[in-house]
Amino acid sequence: MNLEREEKLTSELRELLGDRVSDIKVQRARSIFVTVKAKDYKESIRKVVEKYGLTHISTITGADSGPTIDVMPHLSYAGTKITFKAAVPKTAAEIDTLTDILPGAVMYEREVHDLLGVEFRGHPGLARLVLSDDWPNDVYPLRKEYKVVRPEPIRKA
Amino acid sequence: MPEFSVIVGPQHPALKEPESFTFWVDGEDVVRAEVRIGYAHRGIEKAAESRTYIQNILLIERICGICNVAHTICYTQNVEYLYGREIPRRAEYIRTIIEELNRIHSHLLWVGIAGHEIGFDTLLMYVWRDREVVMDLIEEMTGNRVSTALMTVGGVTRDITPELATRLRKGLDILEERTKYYEKIAAGESTILARTKGIGILTRDEAIRHCAVGPTLRASGIKSDIRADDPYAAHDEVPFDVITSDTCDLFGRVVVRVYETIESIKQVRYCLDHLPNGPIRIRLPNTPPRGESLSRVEAPRGEDIHYVRSDGSDRPARYKVRAPTLGNLAGLVEMLTSKGNYKVHVADIPIILAGIDPCMCCMDRTARFIEPSRNKEWVWTWDQLKRYKRRSGR
Repeated sequence: MNLEREEKLTSELRELLGDRVSDIKVQRARSIFVTVKAKDYKESIRKVVEKYGLTHISTITGADSGPTIDVMPHLSYAGTKITFKAAVPKTAAEIDTLTDILPGAVMYEREVHDLLGVEFRGHPGLARLVLSDDWPNDVYPLRKEYKVVRPEPIRKA
Repeated sequence: MPEFSVIVGPQHPALKEPESFTFWVDGEDVVRAEVRIGYAHRGIEKAAESRTYIQNILLIERICGICNVAHTICYTQNVEYLYGREIPRRAEYIRTIIEELNRIHSHLLWVGIAGHEIGFDTLLMYVWRDREVVMDLIEEMTGNRVSTALMTVGGVTRDITPELATRLRKGLDILEERTKYYEKIAAGESTILARTKGIGILTRDEAIRHCAVGPTLRASGIKSDIRADDPYAAHDEVPFDVITSDTCDLFGRVVVRVYETIESIKQVRYCLDHLPNGPIRIRLPNTPPRGESLSRVEAPRGEDIHYVRSDGSDRPARYKVRAPTLGNLAGLVEMLTSKGNYKVHVADIPIILAGIDPCMCCMDRTARFIEPSRNKEWVWTWDQLKRYKRRSGR
């Protein structure tokens, strides 16, 4: 696999973001993962969006990694998927919104908020998206501590 | 006149799937729209974490009936990326063939539905009759009309014999002739023109801003297709044109889908002519190495993106699916909002909804495992529910 293009892009990203980047790796052709700190999350994405004129956000993945939750917006640049990754602690799951840079993020942030309980600071309205209206406020089904209880057959005594 | 709200749904607002819309109307004009999704939320992402990679193929296939091939290709190639292994070229070609057949079936289905929504049921009957041809081809190729179960991690499960290839070619000839006929109808039939031109407008800038995907984006004049931009399976070799339209309205969406069907027919033919020899799958161990991966596929409705994280066990630590309809939802709300000279009429709501080819169950996925009680302070555990059930004697 020829990864010349990706190597060039990663070195450009490194140069652009400087020490904000804590890790950067090429997953495979046309897919790059960039790890940043939660406090630099918005600023780094803004820089990249402005430099490359990005407009498309594919989605935001939230993933439970034990004590932290990874927030991963997947951006698209000329066919290359650039994924940013920032970890927020579960006890204070808060991160800046991307909706003013990329308006397409509105729905995706609502989804992550719904299922993993990450607050997006500055989001225009973090209303319920997929869960039902009477779902309890502090239960987040995609966190690892939420266990699915398997239904058991009931036998009459 | 004060604004008045009209609630449409959650029972089949346009297509036969549950979604709830609130339209704020002023007389006949829709002033703005709100959407509430989640009625088909089934907990697939959570369920995927408790199943093995092989079991998940079946689960992922059931995200959506119509675009099951797009989801399974996206899933299997995502897992193959985790292993870092390439699959045989022949398997990639077979994947492309079934994917394009699936697209033909989905687009024809949509053209029929669109005909139905504008009160042109003759078109529905004609198109769905011809769609049977492609359904039969899919059945001959995979044994099933809808859920194909052809993908597996490392390749595909069934091969294409020369006899099957001949039958596929014959079916494609019929499909091409019929689709060209619909191309003529779409461009000249006065019912279609009257109900689609200038309706459901999503301008180029709005489409970009709201990150629309698939035929909806291409009908707003933007040349974007995952098959061309981020090629997977055999799309790096199979030539095709990315169809766009600059009318930015429903008419453009009809045109894009009809021409895409013709492109898909050509692609299947190319794949059959250039089908490489060799094995159709490789065997991979049950547990992929630790890591994470991202994969994209151009589903019939647009960009479908999956994320997987492996912790070195035989089950994924996290599986995330974003189906194309969620990407088009913000654009849909924009289409349903009157602004300036552009007025959205109540009568146009169904066809505008159908215009993005919504697939609600793709979009929703995750679910309520236990019905929480109306009292918001606590949730019933399964044991409590069982006790309740016993007590009430149900």
